[in-house]
Amino acid sequence: MPIKLMAASRRRPGLTRAEYFRYIEHYHGTVARLERFKITRYIQNHVIDGAFGVLSDTAHKNRAVDREGVVELYFDEFRDMIATLEPKGVTQSRANQDGKFFADESTNVIVMAEEVELPVANPRPKFNPGLGEPGHGAVKVMQFIMRKPEVFPQDYHRLWRQAHDEAMANSSYAREMFRKITVSKRSRINDNDAAARAHFKMVDPPVYDMVVSVTLDSMEQVGAFRQYFDAMVESRLDFADWSESFFLYVRPVRIIDDAPPKD
Amino acid sequence: MTTQNPAAAVGQDKNLPEWRAQKTYSRNLADSRIKATLPPLTPEEEARPFAKYYYEPIKPADPAHLAAMDQPMDPAMAFGPEEINRLLDIPGLEAGVEVGWCNLPNGAGYIANTIVYPDVTADMIDWWFAWHPLEDLRYRIWYPPQHAGIMLSPIDRARILDPAVPNREKNWGVVHNVTENTDCGFENIDIAFRSPADMGFDMDRFHKVVATCAAGMGWAVAVEKCDTSITAPAIMCHAFYDVPGGLRHRTRFWMGYRFTEEGKPELCLPPDVAVPVEAVQGLARHNVREFTRFGDFLPRIYKELGNSMYC
Repeated sequence: MPIKLMAASRRRPGLTRAEYFRYIEHYHGTVARLERFKITRYIQNHVIDGAFGVLSDTAHKNRAVDREGVVELYFDEFRDMIATLEPKGVTQSRANQDGKFFADESTNVIVMAEEVELPVANPRPKFNPGLGEPGHGAVKVMQFIMRKPEVFPQDYHRLWRQAHDEAMANSSYAREMFRKITVSKRSRINDNDAAARAHFKMVDPPVYDMVVSVTLDSMEQVGAFRQYFDAMVESRLDFADWSESFFLYVRPVRIIDDAPPKD
Repeated sequence: MTTQNPAAAVGQDKNLPEWRAQKTYSRNLADSRIKATLPPLTPEEEARPFAKYYYEPIKPADPAHLAAMDQPMDPAMAFGPEEINRLLDIPGLEAGVEVGWCNLPNGAGYIANTIVYPDVTADMIDWWFAWHPLEDLRYRIWYPPQHAGIMLSPIDRARILDPAVPNREKNWGVVHNVTENTDCGFENIDIAFRSPADMGFDMDRFHKVVATCAAGMGWAVAVEKCDTSITAPAIMCHAFYDVPGGLRHRTRFWMGYRFTEEGKPELCLPPDVAVPVEAVQGLARHNVREFTRFGDFLPRIYKELGNSMYC
């Protein structure tokens, strides 16, 4: 089963958001294509907007404020991930050396995860080139959800699923507009993240046990996510530190993907 | 995996020791450092009806059995977790290596062990594996020198204590957060139990051969975890077979393997890395000792307490 390495970064000092996006897509993306190693798929997610913490917070408690991009690197298995992060015969890959030119590397957040897709009530009925990537919708929401430290990881996933089902049941607009829901569950392999930390150079990063991605047709529908998010935060089930959680509206950019479009 | 119902235990007396043992995840993790010092029993623990087992002499392992773990076996006689159904081929098992350990060519650690338990039944096994995670002391009495403590999550505790769930199925989908020393220092090991079907067994054949089983996947990391500590996965299978007068227990460990989200065993060692020999042999020797003790005291404690999860 594929394993995925997600890294959420913010732009380095001195770069505008537009400069960051241009660099990461056109230069860093090219570096990845030239030095592909064992990457099977590489998606960049360029941040359009986002929120950190919740409205009831009077000040930011989130250690991950401000993100400009989330990259998703897919590998067939963990060994391939390590072979890519620590390639044989190479002291530092070009991608490794390139990060400092666009990212504030010490604040990177990484999650090694496996994807689980959840059913949606209303998947997009047919191909429409006006709505971005076939089968997905043009806009993705990526929600990084911090587990409360007192909650057992196994219960965190169960309680999230129960809260999610209840939130969906109570959110008619979300039920109508969510085109795809993918849960990226942090793997315990992530505990052994020395190679990833060396590659992405983050220092004492916050740990997120789950990232939930939802696709929508366009930015016009992000209110559907807000409706769902409010229902999640108001859940009676106590499993997440919402002040340490955040969500991002992103534009997915395909850098490497050999799979043909599904539509 | 098994669906869990957090509301299953509503109405049960939460003042009973089986419920009061509940700690939060962060509290239990912090307390594991204390547990690893093997502290004396508390007055509350001393008052439990099974405290006497903590103090009784531990039956030593058969020296010949333990000696079989002195040297690695031939890896050609081992098999991987993808071939777990070989545990259903009794003639094949008897013709192979039943007690031994080695590194597989891919670097994984492999352990095989077998012990016969006179006067033990499958019902006893099912009861024990559901009963013992409810309190630290229940786990400690199993093998006091190296078993330091255990915890369940609130939802898992509710499942174990749900009278509607048969003992045989109580652990399916449940995680035991244990603190244990398998001869390489105390570790926190999160053992996620799985049903035989989720282990990959062919269930038509399984029911004809195996009396019961306790199996799953664990992640182990040193109690004194530091920034460079390795969290090590292993797939574990304890299968129990009816034999005249008792049960035969066959154990397999595949160290370095995990189950993926879709339920397939997967090696997750970095390239050119092998599970250290000391870890494989240590767990092999620990396994012989803890299950020698297990076969000795299980019929006695079951006779005394085996009619309930509570006591």
